[in-house]
Amino acid sequence: MLKTNSVGLTISAVPLLNNISIDCPRGSVTALMGPNGAGKTSLLKVIAGEHKASQGRVEINGQSREDWKQSEIAKFMAVLPQSSTLEFAFTAQEVVALGRTPHATGLLRDAEIITGALAKVDASYLAQRSFVQLSGGEKQRVQLARVLAQIWEHCEGDSATDGILLLDEPSAAFDLAHQLMLIEIVQQIAARGVTVVMVMHDLNLAAKCADQMVFMNCGQCTAVGTVKELLTPELIAKVFSVDAEVITHPLQGTPMVVV
Amino acid sequence: MKRLNTRLITPQLCAVILLIMLPLVSVLGLMTGPVFIPLSDILSIMLAGDGAANGSNSQEKLIIEIIRLPRVMLSLIVGALLAACGALLQGLFRNPLADPALIGVSAGASVGASSVIVFGSMVNSGGVMLGLSAISMGAFGGAIVASVIIYRLATGPQGTSVATMLLAGIAISALAGAATNTLSYLADNDMLRRISLWQMGNLQGASWERVGLGALTAGCLAVLIPRETGALNAMLLGESEARHLGINVEWLKRRLIIYSALGVAISVAIAGVIAFVGLMVPHLIRLLVGPDHRSLLPLSALAGAILLVAADALARVVIAPAELPVGIVTSLLGAPFFLWLLVLQRGRS
Repeated sequence: MLKTNSVGLTISAVPLLNNISIDCPRGSVTALMGPNGAGKTSLLKVIAGEHKASQGRVEINGQSREDWKQSEIAKFMAVLPQSSTLEFAFTAQEVVALGRTPHATGLLRDAEIITGALAKVDASYLAQRSFVQLSGGEKQRVQLARVLAQIWEHCEGDSATDGILLLDEPSAAFDLAHQLMLIEIVQQIAARGVTVVMVMHDLNLAAKCADQMVFMNCGQCTAVGTVKELLTPELIAKVFSVDAEVITHPLQGTPMVVV
Repeated sequence: MKRLNTRLITPQLCAVILLIMLPLVSVLGLMTGPVFIPLSDILSIMLAGDGAANGSNSQEKLIIEIIRLPRVMLSLIVGALLAACGALLQGLFRNPLADPALIGVSAGASVGASSVIVFGSMVNSGGVMLGLSAISMGAFGGAIVASVIIYRLATGPQGTSVATMLLAGIAISALAGAATNTLSYLADNDMLRRISLWQMGNLQGASWERVGLGALTAGCLAVLIPRETGALNAMLLGESEARHLGINVEWLKRRLIIYSALGVAISVAIAGVIAFVGLMVPHLIRLLVGPDHRSLLPLSALAGAILLVAADALARVVIAPAELPVGIVTSLLGAPFFLWLLVLQRGRS
């Protein structure tokens, strides 16, 4: 579904990414992890098409990223950036409605989707509120609803094509309950065939939903594998320079990192 | 906390109010002036057509047909152009405080007009094209040159940076201001007066040719701009967000800059610099109905048209039989109203 083949990125003579190859099959959840400045967001931006890869290439559905028309790709791929700078007093509902820009599904269908997307991120009560007056976490939830609305058919599993969702630190502003809500949404849409790639800092949160983890450091891909393969004290020490213990969750059996 | 609506009125209600005000204000504009023409005479002149003009009525008919009607129409067109272009630019720059002066159009136009006033007397300045005097042509040329320079400065291999454009606009405006000041310094008393009057905006030169030119421009923009409203809304989220929503952002920016530069340059050429309308009207409409460009742009155009007709009518009567430059009136009328809205908004939030 989504592949990067030896992708490199150099901007103004500064190498940001070097020889990154990852493979995200349909319906998989990939967590990009690593210290600040490791190149996680840069990689996401290359996949999203914001930066053109200096070396290698990104493949979407077996086709090179550059061969896709932006208006076509927007119909099945949505991107949630780290932060938003909307300074105009749209209501939350209108912000979510912007997610339907690439589609021509009609006002009635769009209204249904907007209501559904707001409900999904627990933001129905915000629908008529002015976006600029929301708190950071509320804003991020509304933006999440917007990107879900953009690929709603894929998230609901009633589309002939497969969706892609790119998330850049989606949970950074969320409280505990909404972090878990995010994990649930990601698992649900991945089960319906949406390929998710997300940048995350919380190892334990990522461990709950990722099929594949990518450890990055200094623009290099240090390790790629399953949660069990990567969450080892040795690798964590190597990538994050932190001494940590890895134990098993008493009920769920997933690995847990304790610092 | 539960507040169901953050807007003052719905776009539909706003449209109804403005559409009722538009003909009322236009008729008021036809009535007022050095010679007061009562409503009944206006109706009979407008409805009767060519027949049955007698005595004083035929004089009134001439005033309406040759002076007031083109002037009111020109005010409608210029007001609508300025307000709609202001709304476009505020969307493009994602800054509710952007106005046409920011892309250097007004400053460039001032240099063009002042140059013609100062140097034009040396050459033959009698030429009139499309109803535009040499001064207007100078203003139009200056406006276009300034916006092209700013656009080129802000456009690199990565595309056009609106942030650079803002800064370049400020710098070019300062440079153009210095050039205008130099020209004013060189000018004699009569030229100086003409330069400063031109900078205050004026609709005195209204003629059917100018109405035609303005209407043509406004008509083209009225067809082209509505296609961009959805994309403009997405642009408010940010350029990369708009790109992820499938919009070709570079081409969109280019089109919006061309539309707004053209609209403002034409209105500056036919009416001089009229401050306030392009900045305040869209802001006001946004406070009333929200930032959705699908309603913001047409409603701004309507409100801008109404404001300018009303301001021009007022400009003709406050110090009658002399006339106040309309740019002064737009600011005097609009600024307090705008401040009142701001206070109202502050009270609500």
